[in-house]
Amino acid sequence: MLFQNLPIRKKLLRIILLINGIVLFITCVTFFFYEYYSFRKATAEKLRTIGKIISANSTAALAFDATDDATETLAALRTEPHIVAACLYDSTGKAFAHYLASDHTDSLPRQPFRDGYYFTKLYLHGFQPVMLEEKRLGTLYLQYNMSAMYERLGSYALIIAVVMLLSFILAYILVRFLKKSISVPILSLADTANIIYNRKDYTVRAVKFGNDEMGTLTDAFNQMLEQIHHQDVRLREFNQQLEQKVKERTAQLELVNKELESFSYTVSHDLRAPLRAIVGFTSILEEDYASQLDDEARRITDVIKGNTHKMARLIDDLLAFSRLGRQEITKAPVNMAAVVKETIQTLASQTDTSRVQWIVHPLPVVPANENMIQQAWVNLISNAVKYSANHETPEIEIGSFGRNGQAVFFVKDNGVGFDSQYKDKLFKVFQRLHRSDEFEGTGIGLALVEKIVVRQGGSVWAESEINKGACFYFSLPY
Amino acid sequence: MNQPIKYIKRYWFMLVMMLAGCLRLQAQVPSRENQVKAVFLYNFTQFVEWPAAAFDSGAAPLVIGVLGKNPFGNFLEQTVAGEQVNGHPVTVHYCNNEQEALSCHIVFINIDDAKKRKQVIQALKGKNILTVSDAPDFARLGGMIRLFTQVNKIRLQVNLDASKESELVLSSKLLKLADIYDRVKSN
Amino acid sequence: MSQNTVELLLVEDNIHDAELAIRHLTRNNLANNLFHVKDGEEALEFIFGTGRYASREGVMQRPRIVLLDIQMPKVNGIEVLQKLKSDPRTRSIPVVILTSSKEDPDIQRCYDLGANSYIVKPVNFEGFASAIKNLGYYWLLLNQPPNH
Repeated sequence: MLFQNLPIRKKLLRIILLINGIVLFITCVTFFFYEYYSFRKATAEKLRTIGKIISANSTAALAFDATDDATETLAALRTEPHIVAACLYDSTGKAFAHYLASDHTDSLPRQPFRDGYYFTKLYLHGFQPVMLEEKRLGTLYLQYNMSAMYERLGSYALIIAVVMLLSFILAYILVRFLKKSISVPILSLADTANIIYNRKDYTVRAVKFGNDEMGTLTDAFNQMLEQIHHQDVRLREFNQQLEQKVKERTAQLELVNKELESFSYTVSHDLRAPLRAIVGFTSILEEDYASQLDDEARRITDVIKGNTHKMARLIDDLLAFSRLGRQEITKAPVNMAAVVKETIQTLASQTDTSRVQWIVHPLPVVPANENMIQQAWVNLISNAVKYSANHETPEIEIGSFGRNGQAVFFVKDNGVGFDSQYKDKLFKVFQRLHRSDEFEGTGIGLALVEKIVVRQGGSVWAESEINKGACFYFSLPY
Repeated sequence: MNQPIKYIKRYWFMLVMMLAGCLRLQAQVPSRENQVKAVFLYNFTQFVEWPAAAFDSGAAPLVIGVLGKNPFGNFLEQTVAGEQVNGHPVTVHYCNNEQEALSCHIVFINIDDAKKRKQVIQALKGKNILTVSDAPDFARLGGMIRLFTQVNKIRLQVNLDASKESELVLSSKLLKLADIYDRVKSN
Repeated sequence: MSQNTVELLLVEDNIHDAELAIRHLTRNNLANNLFHVKDGEEALEFIFGTGRYASREGVMQRPRIVLLDIQMPKVNGIEVLQKLKSDPRTRSIPVVILTSSKEDPDIQRCYDLGANSYIVKPVNFEGFASAIKNLGYYWLLLNQPPNH
């Protein structure tokens, strides 16, 4: 399990145990080695001292060849149980007197080695010169048994092990108590956070357990909560205010809408009535007073009537345009192919489209407002028909393709086209690029198309060359 | 037959001298025992303390005297050659009479005549002189250190009172080895 | 004109529209028993024999067709329609709404109230003439009126 993911208590435990262990280990090992070396040193010192004493005491015996005395002197070493052997050599290196501990079995060196004290595996060997003034009378050899030291070191190791074990146990117990002061506050804080998250109640506060870093964290946490709570309250208030405002605005808008509704209703009704009268009575004039009207007079009445009709169409278009702005856009999957087909049929019944060569490609189903889209198709296709009517073989192609996540539809004709440099004016209300004696029209149709398409999230554009036809595109999001 | 006698006649003096020389040589290679005794004599210098008054100066020689027959030949001189004790070079002096012995620090008394020996001992008493001999009654007579042989080893017998009388301090190490002559107990 | 056997009641406040309509009807010999009122109030009074037509002593007029405009002062066409269609005595009288309003809500409202037909007055002359002619022929000659 990754150390990072361990609960804090276990982390603490391991850290403490590790530190404990390391410290103890280093301490103990240090002391162990210190003991070892100082013991050795002390032993060597001791042996050296004993050696010096014995050798000093043996000078006379050596000087006066008193082996018994020398033996007796050496025998005193019995009191030091660790010294297991001793030997005095005379100046020629011959063994003069010796001492052996009771159970010692090793043999004494035949001749004295170099002066000094040497450690072998089990023993310390010492060769001490016996000096009288500056004259060397002989050599004293001492053999010291180190096994005691090893036993002692062994005890040390055992003690170290026991101490370490005890300290581990103690640390373990201590950490269990620590749990309260560290884990509990942390977990409590986490719980509080959870509660707040689940209930979304920002008035809940965390409990502070102490004045340490956890306490600071708890304070900061609570402060933050305070802030959040205030912000939350403000947000709600703001929200409410907004909603209030929205309600008011909506009410206002609805009011305005209603006014517009009645306005266009009035316009639709009241503007048309006089037009009807104009046309009607002009016709009466034509009919009842036909004999008194010459050609010029008849032309004039035609003009009167024509303009009146035009005005009626303008009114209709304007009304449609304004109605568009007020409508809600409800989108549903629209079968474009079906709409186009119906539009063509309707147009065929209204105008002469017999010469037109229709090329209709498969069209996708796109979410849109059917009524408005139908209006757009009507405008575009009727335009195509109108402006290609002069062609010998008018050809109208309708298709679609996908681009940038939108469906692009086009209506292409081979009619008179328009001057590309004025294409910015194409979609503006009442802007026309042809004279009314060339092609009649109100100049609203394309503006209507643009409004319809833009309101549904698409765009319109067109390409053309004079006398080479025009292609009108509009796009809708899928 | 004439030739050898002729030689002897002509060179008898030389022969005699040679013989004497041989004898002397023989006399000059002391016995093992005497060698050891000579070494002991020297070694005594290490284990005995003379008062400062015993020396004329700090560098005055420490004299080992041999009074009577010299059993050591050159050996004693060889042993002490170049040695020093506390700054005092050790020398050997063969004393012809008591007078000469008085200027020594250690005197080895090798006199056969018991009476004379006694007399000498008396004369050297209390004089900062360590008296050493191998005569059997030496300690009884007031001699300080007697060398005697026991089990093939030369042992020491020390008359402490005598040494104290002479203001000589014998090292305990020395005393440890030695038999202490107790007037009351022994002969 | 005989007030007892009005076949066609024209309710139209615009005198020009009325003149044009009457002209076309006359041309087509459909105006023999035509009565024209200029507002809704008068139309109701006429049918129900109230107000200024109260002298008929409650004898109701049941024209074979009522041509009704919507936009009229005082009592507008919707109200007239409502009144006519809610009264069991006049419910069966065919009412043709003849108006210049193409507004959907109006159309729906009229049909909801029980209008038999809804005609939008075209602006152009020929259209109007033909509409009136067709109307007249249909309702006065072709259509079988309910038996009284």
